[in-house]
Amino acid sequence: MRKKRWLALGLMLLLVLSTALAACSSDEKDDVKGDDKGGGEKKEKTLVFGRGGDSVSLDPIATTEGETYKVTENLYEKLINFGEQDTTLNPGLAKSWEAAEDGLSYTFDLQEGVKFHDGTDFNADAVVKNFERWMNGDAEKFPYFKSVFGGFKDDKSLVIKSVKADGDLKVVITLKQPQAPFLKNLAMSPFAIASPTAFEKFGDKFGDNPVGTGPFKFVSWKRNDSITIEKNPNYWREGLPKLDKVVFRSIPDNSTRLNDLLSGAIDLADGISPSDAASIESNANLQLLKRPSMNIGYLGLTVTRPPFDNVKVRQAMNYAVDKQAIVDAFFEGQAEVAKNQMPPVIGGYNEDVKGYEYDPEKAKALLKEAGYDGKEIELWAMPVPRPYMPDGKKIAEAIQKNLADVGMKSKIVSYEWGVYLDKAEKGEADAFLLGWTGDNGDADNFLYALLDEDSIGSNNYTYYKNSKTHKLLIEAQTEVDEEKRNEIYKKVQEIFNEEAPWVPLAHSTPLLASKSDVINLLPHPTGSDRLENVDFK
Amino acid sequence: MSEMAPNATIDVVIKQDQSVGPWREAWRSFKKSKAALVGAVIVAFFILLAIVGPFFVPEGINDQVLKNRLQPPSAEHWFGTDDFGRDIFSRVVHGARISLWVGFSSVIGSVVVGSMLGIIAGYYGRWIDTIISRIFDIMLAFPSILLAIAVVSILGPSLQNALIAIAIINVPNFGRLIRSKVLSIKQEEYITSAKAIGMKDARILFSHILPNSMTPVIVQGTLAVASAIIEAAALGFLGLGAEAPTPEWGKMLADARIYLINAPWTMIFPGLAIMLTVLGFNLMGDGLRDALDPKMKN
Repeated sequence: MRKKRWLALGLMLLLVLSTALAACSSDEKDDVKGDDKGGGEKKEKTLVFGRGGDSVSLDPIATTEGETYKVTENLYEKLINFGEQDTTLNPGLAKSWEAAEDGLSYTFDLQEGVKFHDGTDFNADAVVKNFERWMNGDAEKFPYFKSVFGGFKDDKSLVIKSVKADGDLKVVITLKQPQAPFLKNLAMSPFAIASPTAFEKFGDKFGDNPVGTGPFKFVSWKRNDSITIEKNPNYWREGLPKLDKVVFRSIPDNSTRLNDLLSGAIDLADGISPSDAASIESNANLQLLKRPSMNIGYLGLTVTRPPFDNVKVRQAMNYAVDKQAIVDAFFEGQAEVAKNQMPPVIGGYNEDVKGYEYDPEKAKALLKEAGYDGKEIELWAMPVPRPYMPDGKKIAEAIQKNLADVGMKSKIVSYEWGVYLDKAEKGEADAFLLGWTGDNGDADNFLYALLDEDSIGSNNYTYYKNSKTHKLLIEAQTEVDEEKRNEIYKKVQEIFNEEAPWVPLAHSTPLLASKSDVINLLPHPTGSDRLENVDFK
Repeated sequence: MSEMAPNATIDVVIKQDQSVGPWREAWRSFKKSKAALVGAVIVAFFILLAIVGPFFVPEGINDQVLKNRLQPPSAEHWFGTDDFGRDIFSRVVHGARISLWVGFSSVIGSVVVGSMLGIIAGYYGRWIDTIISRIFDIMLAFPSILLAIAVVSILGPSLQNALIAIAIINVPNFGRLIRSKVLSIKQEEYITSAKAIGMKDARILFSHILPNSMTPVIVQGTLAVASAIIEAAALGFLGLGAEAPTPEWGKMLADARIYLINAPWTMIFPGLAIMLTVLGFNLMGDGLRDALDPKMKN
């Protein structure tokens, strides 16, 4: 009897204790959240940004993935910045720059008095060390460096010849051959300048301990949950940033994220379903923000895997998919149907490419011609909403039906986002949904980055190889004359259209929504937003 | 020999009593409960729907007409259309077959496996009982849906694997039920006498113990069908059950989630279907328990 009483007492105690603890934890949350409306007061201004997925790393050079850049764009800075809502070139960590006549060398004048978050100085030496780090890497470690600058230290294809400091605040970069989009490339999120002291100290763990010069400092990272960054009090631009803290929360489900915005748990959400646009616009507490479109959503066909090693099957896929119906249904008009591998805003877009109309009969005929054996294929669908595709699984289901109509059976497969990218990169998918948001507004960043043989192992998941387009794409990189360059890209698009390594689906207008008191947020076409000007009313 | 004769006749008399009396009495008391009858009618309706329904519905399960997406209920589409322009009525009817199939076959699977283990544990006792019972305890220590998720993630998501997972998680429930029943039956005199006349274990188990321990299993089984349907729907909702475009009710709910505000009918009808079948099985199960459980008689 006594034993039982003690047990009951113990249980009661546990109950009380757990209630108390639960109460504490919710208090804590409230503290973190702070008071958004306390504009002029001393209270912390915290912006909670809800997004579809977690970052892969916080070292921007270690990945090619957009969720990483969304955060790192605010932790680090690059030598050159893009314009507020376009890809024009503006001063960043470099005050000014000058290109030599022959296009083979560039001289950068750096900002004075900039310090990294760890207190070390930003100077020419730091820039040189960053380039050395990148050039000494490999495709595994720095995938984007290879596809943008052609290779690493020992590769002939590496465009950069040398990076040298000239005094404390001047850097000279010499190239082996001209690279037309060189300055645009330097303005891309992955090529942000990190603290050499920090990356030497942390080595492979630098992605968990990011140190840059940006307006915000890293605080903490709970995997698959949230990343917290706070104001850098020593930021070199006067009066910035306006916010004290930003919390990036990953909320994979679109409707959950919208509900969190409605309930006030988050202040800003990206990846808004097009179907929710109307209800957000009619809500006085919310505002709908449109990101200028610079992307492509596509169905990749891995050309090393049957049946897609046959060009006729790939063309049949293009005829089989009813793109217009998909755009109408799942983008709700917030997108245009794609026919090329890059969006029309990019210079060099080929209007004259015919593309493939929806024609199941032609698809059937082509499949027959190709001798397709009726083998079931795997159709990979993204597990998370992406700016170029709000709901991959639904689109996959529509495509599955399209394919069934022409006699191709498919099984929809999905993995966790990191695994999905990893497996697709290794060429393990038959057909996969994916997309790309331009990182610098140049055709090279679409056509070469996504479909050239040099990009196999980084962003060319289809393993498509073609010596003709490879030659043209390399030629375009060194061609400084804009018009001639565009002509080359047009030719490349014609060949891609014929060879059909993808079914291009749509160029979407990604939607964001925020509380109506969030001001100065200008969504950037690259998908990575700088938040230093953002404020609460 | 002369001693055995009276015992045998007593055995026969007891048997007769059990085989005629209790069932009729059970049916009488089942009929008395209105709720149980309603449950039985609902269950019968859904079983009929599952068997013949799919032959009469207007559309197949994957007749996409994207132009007609998200249309409200009308004369043409009784339950409206979903986001692929498919007829929800047709899909819900097809879904009945899937849900009931999962419900019944997973429960039959767990009854068979659970009974075997339970009988062995209860009849033989000792170390074999300890092992089996501890395994059951371990399985019961996990929340059932968590265990199901674990099983599915090992086997890979598909309707068949969801079915297997649900069958596995229900095994200890039936196993323990049978074991306790066997423990009490084992002490009965007719078992002792059966042993005394040299009857083989197998025969004692299957012709005496098993039939006499089935009543609680029937009750528990009916209720388990209801929870199996919910578990299958939950797995489907989490994307761990049926694959697209299978019209499994839970998956239909998950797919319709984002249209909750704009097109509520995409959620309401599959949701109602789940609710009604589960309600039916639960009412019927409750009625059966009252009717079959001797403890509830007074």
